[in-house]
Amino acid sequence: MSLTARSVTIHFGGLVAVDAMDLDAIPPEIIGLIGPNGAGKTTFLNCISGIYRPTGGSVLWNGEELVGQAPHVLLGRGIARTFQSITSLHDLSVLDVVKLGADMRGDLSVGDRMRSLFLSEKALDEELTEMLLRPLRLADVAHTPIQTLSYGHRKAVDLARALAAHPMLLLLDEPVAGLTSQEGMAMAGVIRSVRDRFGCAVVMVEHKMDVVMDTCERIVVMAAGAKIFAGSPAEVQSSAEVRRVYLGEPS
Amino acid sequence: MTYALQLAVAGIAVGSVYALIALGIVLIYKCSGVVNFAQGAYAMVGAYLTYALINLGLSAVIAVIVSMAIMAGLGILTERLILRPMLKAPVVAVMMVTLGLLILSQAICLAVWGPDQIAFPALFPAGALEIAGIFMTYNYVATGFLSALLCVTFLAFYRFTPIGLMQRCAADNSRAALAIGIHVSNQVSIAWAMSAALAGLGGTLLATLNGLSLGLADIGLIAFPVIVLGGLSSLGGAFVAGLVLGVLQSFTDGWLTPSLEDFLRAHTRVYSVGALQQVVPYALLVLMLLVRPEGLFGRRGTERV
Repeated sequence: MSLTARSVTIHFGGLVAVDAMDLDAIPPEIIGLIGPNGAGKTTFLNCISGIYRPTGGSVLWNGEELVGQAPHVLLGRGIARTFQSITSLHDLSVLDVVKLGADMRGDLSVGDRMRSLFLSEKALDEELTEMLLRPLRLADVAHTPIQTLSYGHRKAVDLARALAAHPMLLLLDEPVAGLTSQEGMAMAGVIRSVRDRFGCAVVMVEHKMDVVMDTCERIVVMAAGAKIFAGSPAEVQSSAEVRRVYLGEPS
Repeated sequence: MTYALQLAVAGIAVGSVYALIALGIVLIYKCSGVVNFAQGAYAMVGAYLTYALINLGLSAVIAVIVSMAIMAGLGILTERLILRPMLKAPVVAVMMVTLGLLILSQAICLAVWGPDQIAFPALFPAGALEIAGIFMTYNYVATGFLSALLCVTFLAFYRFTPIGLMQRCAADNSRAALAIGIHVSNQVSIAWAMSAALAGLGGTLLATLNGLSLGLADIGLIAFPVIVLGGLSSLGGAFVAGLVLGVLQSFTDGWLTPSLEDFLRAHTRVYSVGALQQVVPYALLVLMLLVRPEGLFGRRGTERV
């Protein structure tokens, strides 16, 4: 089980946003995707997760091509993602949204789905609450409409929704950005424990370096749409190239 | 008192059919943003189909089920063939198309079955039920019970099942639903299928009460006051408002019209006030739009400036 992205390229008009990116992710590793603003990190994530269709290159998951597949197909194959700016749903409660994620699990058979039409959802509700909502500190607001929640809570709901689908590849777009450092550390803890539990691969785009250094086993640095460096957190921290991209040329 | 109860029960029976058809309109509106004027046509076509199937020799129950299935198919066809190509067209244009569909299907039914009212085969045993002095024909009892049951079943389906949840999510914010991996266009098709099937059954039940004619399509027009009363985006509101309107019509017919006519005959030379109960829904529509445009259960739209 592995993700193999090869020379993924996308341009918008004349602008090359992602330029021949390669990325491998093999469960259960956590990969951090970092780089200055505008480096194309989120765009690259969008290419993998079916939001954008790359202009060139291929993205293979277990040997199957993902390019051109809609998000619901990807979810069926065990790929879930979260969003940088969380989507707004008016009427649904926290538990509803997390259940949506669970309903779209790829490993359910048609028979399971038909049965679930008639079964009480109480057991599922409790399972989801215990497994996802409580660690993410959402148990108390399970029946609250999402719209009334704080930003931090809504980010947690988005993560819980993605996790409920039991993904084998989890794509996180700035899971910690905008949270207080305390919330951020808690979120990072949840991401690690989820990985330990499900054994999934995680690719996370993130700016908060302390979280990235703490959480990720391998870090890929992007600048101007291309990969400029990959290595362990320690290697990234001591790399002159990375320093140059982030801090500018020494004069 | 008994008379009032009698009127109320009759009103609830007819009102649940209104609710059934209004539910379909609300469902389609929530999911695809289109106000479907062809809902009355679905009701009419459903009734004619049931009639044709019974004439083919099918038993009543099977005929109703088959006609509902065909209506569901017609709903999906409408959505795929007509609505989807118009995805980027202005909403008013789409509404005009549904109005055209209504006229078209009336013309087709006219060509096939002719303009005359047809006696609808009896689906339920003849006779009447008497409870505490209230007389109800089995027709009314069965119609009211069946449509109320179906309304409640549908609302429960929408509220408690995974597909219902996906429907709600797609209706809430279709872009967000798409992004988190819901097959939104399938959900829209499901919504059209369900509301066409519900309307087909509603039309059949109405035909058992009033006979089969092209006028059945007018039920679609009565459904509009119902959804304005209930709030265009509230399914529960449509159910309650359907019952309210049915009872209101029944009381107008059985109590207001006679007493008004007695009064007028005693004091003026006016002899009849006509079919007042047909005016009630629209009077209510105007009043509602003036007083509380978002309906009883609707949410007032807010706009960020």
